Amino acid sequence: MLLVFCFTAPASLANNRTSLPDTLTIEASTAPIVADMRPYTTALEDVTGSMTISQVIHQSFSPNKEIYHANPRNNKRQNNCWLRFIIHNPGNNMASWLLFSGWHDFMYWYVQAPEDTPQLLMQTGLMLDRGGVERWNHYAFAAEVPAHSTRTYYLHIINKSFNESPLIPTLYNTSAFVKFQNTAEEGFRRDSVVILVLLGMLLVFFSISLINYIQLPDRSYLYFALYIVGLMLFFALRLESKPYQLSFFHRWPMLKYYWNIPALLFCFYLMYLLFGSTFLNLKSRYPFMARVFTWVAAAVGGLIIICIYCIAEEQYHLPTIIYGYVYFGTLLPLLIMFIALARRSQHHPLVRFFLLGSVCLYLACLGSFLIHVHPLGLVGALEELSAPTLLLIGGILLQAMFVLAGLSYRNKLVHMERTRTQEMLIKQLNKNKELQRKLNEQLEELVKEQTTEILRKKQELEEQRKIQLETEYVKKLTEIELKAIRAQINPHFIFNCLNSIQLFVMQRDFEYAQKYLSDFSYLIRKTLDFSRRNFISLADEITYLNTYLGLERMRFENRMEYEVVVDPGIATAELEIPAMLLQPYVENAVKHGMTNPKQATGKLSVRFRQVASDMLECIVEDNGIGISRSRALRTLPQHHQSSGMEISQNRADLLNKMYNTEIQIEIIDKFLKDDEDSGTLVIILIPQL
Amino acid sequence: MIKAIIIDDERNSRDIIALMLAKYCPFVTIADMASDCADGIEKIRLHQPQLVFLDLEMPDGIGFDILTGTQAAIPFEAIFVTAFEKKFLHIIRFSEIELILKPIDKESLLQAVNAVSARISAGSSTKRYEVLMQNFNYNQATDWQMIVLDQEQAEHIISISDINYFEAVDEFTVFYMGDGQSINAAAGFRYYLELFAGLRFYQLNNSQMVQLAAVSRISSDGSKVILRNGATLEITERRKKDLILRLQ
Repeated sequence: MLLVFCFTAPASLANNRTSLPDTLTIEASTAPIVADMRPYTTALEDVTGSMTISQVIHQSFSPNKEIYHANPRNNKRQNNCWLRFIIHNPGNNMASWLLFSGWHDFMYWYVQAPEDTPQLLMQTGLMLDRGGVERWNHYAFAAEVPAHSTRTYYLHIINKSFNESPLIPTLYNTSAFVKFQNTAEEGFRRDSVVILVLLGMLLVFFSISLINYIQLPDRSYLYFALYIVGLMLFFALRLESKPYQLSFFHRWPMLKYYWNIPALLFCFYLMYLLFGSTFLNLKSRYPFMARVFTWVAAAVGGLIIICIYCIAEEQYHLPTIIYGYVYFGTLLPLLIMFIALARRSQHHPLVRFFLLGSVCLYLACLGSFLIHVHPLGLVGALEELSAPTLLLIGGILLQAMFVLAGLSYRNKLVHMERTRTQEMLIKQLNKNKELQRKLNEQLEELVKEQTTEILRKKQELEEQRKIQLETEYVKKLTEIELKAIRAQINPHFIFNCLNSIQLFVMQRDFEYAQKYLSDFSYLIRKTLDFSRRNFISLADEITYLNTYLGLERMRFENRMEYEVVVDPGIATAELEIPAMLLQPYVENAVKHGMTNPKQATGKLSVRFRQVASDMLECIVEDNGIGISRSRALRTLPQHHQSSGMEISQNRADLLNKMYNTEIQIEIIDKFLKDDEDSGTLVIILIPQL
Repeated sequence: MIKAIIIDDERNSRDIIALMLAKYCPFVTIADMASDCADGIEKIRLHQPQLVFLDLEMPDGIGFDILTGTQAAIPFEAIFVTAFEKKFLHIIRFSEIELILKPIDKESLLQAVNAVSARISAGSSTKRYEVLMQNFNYNQATDWQMIVLDQEQAEHIISISDINYFEAVDEFTVFYMGDGQSINAAAGFRYYLELFAGLRFYQLNNSQMVQLAAVSRISSDGSKVILRNGATLEITERRKKDLILRLQ
């Protein structure tokens, strides 16, 4: 009904022309009225783009059907045109019209009363109006014509982008416009819902890949997430050109240009290449392709920067041209790449996912492109290549799903690899543990062996030392014993006796020689006898000492006196004492007793006393110079000093050990006790059994 | 005539020396006798004797003490007379000083007196007493020196530590020293064998005795002993093991 009106109205209205042929004469009406303004519109194209309204009103306008188009169109140039509408109201009421001629970048609406200067009534535009959803109401310009008057309106349209939205000036009355608006709103809402759904899905994908990336810092997730972000931004900006829909970025209308071609390059080339490279591990599996990917990605990065620069310079068509070349230039290489990868898919299951995803997108893009070729032409369609057609959206979603599945599979592979590595590690660890255990065992064994060896050696050493000690002890014992026996009678004494006998013989004092010889013989015989026995009777000892001292007195020409005193109570025949115990002390007493210059005669006494029922005391006393002074007198060097005292002590110890008695020997230097006195006192205590 | 003094702490000993000298060595006159060291020194200074009979054991010292006090000023010869003195036997004999053991027998007395009188008449030096005194101050035999008399009765003073080895040559003995010298001694090999018996010397065979410190090693076949100066000496199989023990 409306359409019929639309087509019939101009014809009927045309007949009402009164003044000028391009003047629309129309009365206000409550019924919906839609008037196609094309026959009544004259246009002026401003090639320089520098004309102002005051200049324009003096220019001649001409009807130009070429500039109108019902579908989006690529103008192949910037469009800067002025449209002039002249409306006459023959009616009695004020007529309010709304003129709508599509959505364009910059739109300025002027009114001119007859014989008056034009006035700017309204300005709006996709690039100009940054309001919210209400801005879409600004594109219907109000044209109010008072009763019986004529008004001239100028509409200045500037489209810097080569692609232009439909441009057909149409006049509506209010009720008709509401109807039109509702219809359009509904259509665009469907588009935007599709985009919003797509955005939602992409957001989910983005979240998944971002979470995965955080969990498992695999670069392919990051590239995929960036790819998704790029797409999300791109589609979100696409809402910008959906009239009556709320856009997220309406405050920055330029963004949709900046993120149009660069977005395509970024998502479908740069990120896709980087993602593919890391996702397929091309670096290690297919190094040549990895190099190609990297180089192409770098080139695309450069192109993105160039495109952004061009857009900043308002050269909107250049990125489109660049993209055209890129698109057509890469079609074949992409195909080759797909084939090359496909041939490898058997070896690498991830390639299958990547290929399927890529082919989906590839086909979807191609399909989408072909859809757009018809209205926009080959090059114009390129820019709308990723216009969110259902086909493309399906392709993208499929691709994203394939890629996500691939990423999961990759995760699985990584996990498997990790598990395998871990298993290997565990195996190796176990092996190491086993080795360590073995080594420890070996070491322990070794230590044990060594310890045993050491213990054995130690024991051996101990035994050796014991044997050595024993040998030494026996040797020492024998030595001391020998010394003790030898000490029983001084060889010096023997030879001196013999010397004396020799003298008597030579002096022919035979009687004396006889006596001396018999005493000497007795002494030698007794010495030999006693040295074989351990104990002798005290009587024997007394006889022996008397004989010995008698011989000594003879040697010393009666310069010495001696006495042997025995307590009358002592049964000399029954008491037993160690053989030859006293002789060395007596001999010592003789030797030292004769060396006192103060005493002309050496006095020597041997006394036996029973100090206790089981203790015999024997005192050997002389009046010599005493031990200490005797030592001092000697000028012998230290090493020649005789060690008589030590021998005495050793002798006592030895005797005690040998006979298991407790003989005590005390040697007292009388001089040390009393300055006036001199001589040595030897007290020997002999326990009686 | 030789003027002599007897120093002994026993009258019997003094008497018998005097008696025997009078009987067998009438050319020795006894100038005086002393019974201890102090007395002896006094008498020596008084009489300036040519010969002193010295007992070793005396109440106030030993015979060497008398030499220390007088020998430097009065260069007399000495004959030691002792009953039994193992301790100083080596020192006396290394110094080639005469020693008579009690009871005195005629032969040893005559030999000693003759040797001394020969030295007195030859006007020999009394270096051997210095050697004696020196040796007396050292405990270790390796620090000792010894007098070696050659066939001409010339005195060679050598350090015992310098001896590499000595060997029998005819009825004499030749000492081979560390510096390469050799000394022909008048005494026989047996005499020195006995003299060195208690020292760190070893008899390799019937005619050679080596100082253990001079031995470097035993040759690999075990038949030779190689000294530090390179000399090679024979060793009998029987003695080899014993030598190895001694070397350890």
